[in-house]
Amino acid sequence: MNKYLAIFKINLLNSLAYPAEMATRSGMILIFMTVFFQLWHVTYGDSGTQVLNGLTLQNIMWYLLLAETIELGRPRLARVISEQVKDGSIAYLLNKPYNFLLYQLSIGMGESLPRMGLLFIVGGTLVWIMAGPPPQLQNWPLAAIPLVGAWLLHFCFNCLIGLAAFVAEEVAPFEWIYQKFVFILGGMLVPLDFYPVWLQAVAKSLPFAYMMYGPASLFVRPDLQLFVQIVSGQILWLAVLGGLLVLAFSRGMRRLAINGG
Amino acid sequence: MPAIHVSNLTKTFRTKHKAAGLGASLRSLVKPQYTTVEAVRGLSFEMESGELLGFIGPNGAGKSTTIKILTGILFPNAGDVQVLGYTPWKQRRQLAYSIGTVFGQRPQLWYHLPAIDTFTLFGKIYELDDLETKKRIAYLAEAFEIEDLLEIPVRKLSLGQRMRCEVAASLLHKPRLLLLDEPSIGLDVVAKQHIRDAIREMAAQENVGVLLTSHDAGDLEALCKRVIIINHGQIVYQDKVSVLKRSYLTWKLVEVRYAQQINPDFHVEGTKILKVSKDHYAVKLRFDTLQTPVENVMAHLSAAGTLLDITVSDPPLEEVIAAIYEKAERNE
Repeated sequence: MNKYLAIFKINLLNSLAYPAEMATRSGMILIFMTVFFQLWHVTYGDSGTQVLNGLTLQNIMWYLLLAETIELGRPRLARVISEQVKDGSIAYLLNKPYNFLLYQLSIGMGESLPRMGLLFIVGGTLVWIMAGPPPQLQNWPLAAIPLVGAWLLHFCFNCLIGLAAFVAEEVAPFEWIYQKFVFILGGMLVPLDFYPVWLQAVAKSLPFAYMMYGPASLFVRPDLQLFVQIVSGQILWLAVLGGLLVLAFSRGMRRLAINGG
Repeated sequence: MPAIHVSNLTKTFRTKHKAAGLGASLRSLVKPQYTTVEAVRGLSFEMESGELLGFIGPNGAGKSTTIKILTGILFPNAGDVQVLGYTPWKQRRQLAYSIGTVFGQRPQLWYHLPAIDTFTLFGKIYELDDLETKKRIAYLAEAFEIEDLLEIPVRKLSLGQRMRCEVAASLLHKPRLLLLDEPSIGLDVVAKQHIRDAIREMAAQENVGVLLTSHDAGDLEALCKRVIIINHGQIVYQDKVSVLKRSYLTWKLVEVRYAQQINPDFHVEGTKILKVSKDHYAVKLRFDTLQTPVENVMAHLSAAGTLLDITVSDPPLEEVIAAIYEKAERNE
């Protein structure tokens, strides 16, 4: 366990090596949140009501903040692993006495934690000014647990796509598809509550809703029943994707061809 | 028990083959064509523990592939391999505790952080206690003369400095076997010498076996007792380095540049002039050290004019391999 903590720590240090770069990247969330606010402000204005599908403008903005924090702060491992396969540096990662997948997990956490923290603070400040204060503090734990689950699901997808580089030449298309599914069926741009009932059912039967909608929704609308529903869905999908990941890694190792040298 | 036992090792790679042009690209989408490349073909050899073994060959000979199989990263297609009693691809993690690796063309140190951070991380990964790690870092820092470099971000080090840190890092957990894949690639003469000295001293002090791949014959002369030369995935020669030197590395190449034009019928006794530059300022020649002493050649060269620059080098490995083939054919 110690070694994984050390791996987490070194990537945390690495992420903090360029504070200016990280701050600039976090600035992106200011642009997104401003655009979202304008869009939803007009929508609520036109509808002439304060509440749409059970959500106020303030709710929507904090929902979108958490969704954007997940999307912009999630690990970018798919690209990282495929680059490591392409340039051959994967050789160094595979010949150390640790579990490769837990290594990547620790790396991902070291990268995500400071980034997500900064995104939330920077974006949250703007949302507070534009739309009002965040949900009450006692609601936060109900969102925090599914947030971890969502992060782990993103990790599984990223790692699976990254490992595809063991056999495929290019993984960017897979990443593109995954991202679009998260955007649409995860409820990143519009909360799933605004979708027709049949599409909501489709979205909730896939893992993407648990990677975005789940925690973001619980953040603004704490509900114990929804919490249980989301967390159990996450556990189920983590078992499926985690199992696939372990299988893909052991199969992939047999087929790995390392470039260079 | 030998440190490394390899018998009939074979590894093939399947690569997609595509002709140039749009038509060929479309065809390859529908029906991709694959070419099978045999990187290693029935390789067999042994290495004793504590031995310094050179594993050399031109680019694409199968050296790196073999090393990657020995570390357990690649699965072979056929053959039996035992490294320190482990089957690498089945017991990769257990084996990792006892071997150190350096892939000269790839960095393992964290690029944006000082090397000391990677050293400390490796201490944790190899499960050394903190005090032990500290002592070991201090010891390696002295042996590789990197005390002043450890606190500098790796990206700011020169290639030679970085490589010394890379090799030192691979020795942190006191491995019994060191696998060095092109550790001197891209280094200048001084840096090469520096790193060779450090490796040789460490190997002697700690009785670490070293398997070194290189396409530089100089690495071999400086570090190894025995050599295996491979080409096209097969062993073409294996013997003591001293024998190889006596039989094949007796030629030297000399390149000289003068401050003034030299005589058109320039000649140095006992050497073969390979090329005289068009402006008659530079000359390239070769000679056999068994027949012509180096000092005689040097004396002749400096007598011919004012020397601006002089480089003496070993024949390239490709030539050595060609000579080995030639000799084998003559004996058949």
